[in-house]
Amino acid sequence: MNETVVKAEQEKKVDEEWEPKIIAFLCNWCSYAGADLAGVSRIQYPPSIRVVRVPCSGRVNPYFIIRSLTDGWDGVLVSGCHPGDCHYISGNLVARRRFSILNELLEFFGIESDRVNFMWASAAEGERFAVLIRKVTEKVRKLGPNTQFQKKW
Amino acid sequence: MGIETDNQEIEKSMREVARNLLKEKEVDVIIGYSKGTFPLSTSPIMIKKEEEVDKLIWNNLCYVNLAKYLVPKIPQLLDPEGGDLKIGIVSKGCVGRALVHLAVEKQLNLENIKMIGIPCNGVVNRRRIEKDIGEKEVFEISASGNDLIVKGKDFEQKFPFDEYINELCKVCKVKSPPSVSEACIGECQEVPSIEDDFGDLSDYESKTTEEKWQEITDTLSVCTRCYACREACPMCYCNLCFVDQNKPIWFGKTTDMSDIVIFHLVRAMHMAGRCVACGACSSVCPMGIDLNKITRKLEKIVKERYDFTSGIDTEKLPPMMDFELEEAEEFMLEED
Amino acid sequence: MEEKLLMKDQIAKLYDELAKDYSFFAPIKEKGNIVFKKASNPEEIELDYFNSKVPPKEVLFPKMEVLFEYSLDEKDVEIKERTDLDEKRLIFGIRPCDAHSFVLLENFFDFGEFKDEIFLKKRENTTLIGMGCNSPKSTCFCTSLEGHPFQRDDLDVMLVDLGDKYLVESVTEKGKELVQKLSWLTEATKADVEKAQDLSIQAEESFQTHLDFSNVAKTLDPNFDHPIWEEISEICIGCGTCSFLCPTCTCFDVIDETDEYNNRGRRIRIWDTCQSCQYTLHTSGHNPRNSCIERCRNRILHKFSYYPTNYNLIGCVGCGRCVQLCPVNNDLRTIIEKINKIEDKKEEKISA
Repeated sequence: MNETVVKAEQEKKVDEEWEPKIIAFLCNWCSYAGADLAGVSRIQYPPSIRVVRVPCSGRVNPYFIIRSLTDGWDGVLVSGCHPGDCHYISGNLVARRRFSILNELLEFFGIESDRVNFMWASAAEGERFAVLIRKVTEKVRKLGPNTQFQKKW
Repeated sequence: MGIETDNQEIEKSMREVARNLLKEKEVDVIIGYSKGTFPLSTSPIMIKKEEEVDKLIWNNLCYVNLAKYLVPKIPQLLDPEGGDLKIGIVSKGCVGRALVHLAVEKQLNLENIKMIGIPCNGVVNRRRIEKDIGEKEVFEISASGNDLIVKGKDFEQKFPFDEYINELCKVCKVKSPPSVSEACIGECQEVPSIEDDFGDLSDYESKTTEEKWQEITDTLSVCTRCYACREACPMCYCNLCFVDQNKPIWFGKTTDMSDIVIFHLVRAMHMAGRCVACGACSSVCPMGIDLNKITRKLEKIVKERYDFTSGIDTEKLPPMMDFELEEAEEFMLEED
Repeated sequence: MEEKLLMKDQIAKLYDELAKDYSFFAPIKEKGNIVFKKASNPEEIELDYFNSKVPPKEVLFPKMEVLFEYSLDEKDVEIKERTDLDEKRLIFGIRPCDAHSFVLLENFFDFGEFKDEIFLKKRENTTLIGMGCNSPKSTCFCTSLEGHPFQRDDLDVMLVDLGDKYLVESVTEKGKELVQKLSWLTEATKADVEKAQDLSIQAEESFQTHLDFSNVAKTLDPNFDHPIWEEISEICIGCGTCSFLCPTCTCFDVIDETDEYNNRGRRIRIWDTCQSCQYTLHTSGHNPRNSCIERCRNRILHKFSYYPTNYNLIGCVGCGRCVQLCPVNNDLRTIIEKINKIEDKKEEKISA
């Protein structure tokens, strides 16, 4: 067979097998509990996220997000309590400010900002959690594997 | 009128104010600019005696942000017992803004400072002039009417002033320090708020993601990671910069493209709501990288989201030191 | 005549022939800055240049260099050493001051039992084709340091720009071999050689900076605590530009980078500067050089006192980059003049 055709076939195979790997920072009191509820209620959602439990979305340092992108993660998700419901009163409000600035800067630098997502999900919102995970997975799948920002050597 | 006459007037009144301050012993030391050792340069200077006032100059090559010397306080600005000296600073608008913002961040006390306000008419983009002239040596730079005249061996070139000042100076809205406290003397101005449509960014922002990435990596590709930009910035006073941290090592210090972009991205993030658009970072870069677009974007973000401009109000908290219950969250993921 | 001529329109021919055997490094314009980079075609070579912004030490001692790589499997660690050190390099158009800096670099990397294999191997396989400076700038002061704009000592081949052609002179055996390979070079005439000599004299006479280094080392030694250091370092912001872009500065930091996901890592070295506030930070938290005063002083002492005392070499080549690029114009020439004046004041005291 023609060499270029063989290569294209191999690449396509990789593409078909590829599933987005998304690192998810979930706040312990709301979002992590919400994910737990989704699991207990047997609500199906794509197995694309790898959860990191943090005490509050305000604990999430923008360095975690950027470092995840350079380490090769295809997507990053940060989820916290709804504004006004934070277990630590204002942690999620501070986080929201950080994320707004980070989001705008990522977009400005031409880094695919659709890879980095933020959401609110409370402990009682198992169904909502699953819906949003499905949404994030599709968003990241459309972008393909993360090669732009990865530290290559 | 012409730039030459403007500069002479600014210099004359600035020296007058400085002389009075030293005569009346209202300050112990004055930080200003002095003539450099070759044409396209100026040098910051610290004077303590009235006789030295004539060393202070003003021309359009005064690009260093003098607020840098105050945080952390260098030993030369402390008295023998370690107390603060009273300091006078020749302040363009951006230097004044930097001092006000540092006071808001509680890094200095405006009571020990006198801002000698001057109505800055712009700082020349010397890297651009050097690039346009090429490898020839400059012997003299002067102003005539609204042009800069650069003379060297076997050549003389004219540069329209308004085109060859720093990109940030072209859109500057705070040319003299904001008069927010008794620290401001000389030429200061009332700055209740800033009106800015950020039209200079619309071209860049309409590009696609790939085009933006291309342009950013292109601009930053020559970065040598010397950190001159960080050292020249008055807002970069951290004892341990994030790139130097080793527990853990967050980001690489190499000249790989992703490492270079991350340094500038994260430094920009740390500057959100704090950058005063003085352009010192671009002026000191030895490789001539122009960070003006990033600076403008930072100002745009905090103005449009939080109606905040750094360094014009001693009461309002900067956006990253504050929070609100209700605010725009259009970037958050939501169910359809 | 031993000397040969290389016409300016023959540069492409020179490149085509030499690029077969050597990695051809030449001055190239990149975003408005001249830097020494590997030319991929002769059109990239910039012949109308004063000097590069980043010194040619970058060719042998780059900003970032991999020392070795390692990978891990079940039981073993496999170390991958550098394999590209035998690559033959050629630096075209290097100025005599920068060529002299290579002597200082060699002194640093080849010190008794401490030999840096990576740098030394590369240096061994590098040929220097230098270019005389017809128009030194006002900030140049190589002549004050026993240098000269047309100094041949540290080059393999010397070129002199005669307008439409270069005079080619081989200096070392390596250089002679190279020039002999280029058999198509025409013979130079006596007039050409005389013109080159005239240009040399003209260049030397055009120097505007004349500094006296004869007493600097002697003055610095007893004046470690002199108050003049406070004055000299007053406006320094500690940015490190002077050391990054100095052809003789060699400090580097060593960092281990790991790629845990792929079980591998590498050890790299990157440029570092003694002007950084963490340069002498001990793990105890104590920092003997805690302020700009000590750090500024250290740099001057290192170049003009420790180097002459320990190695009989002055740690500066007079290229003037630090003078041109210092953001606060803390001019090294002014500093040297101030240091020279210290001695005078001492004499005044004695006479009084």
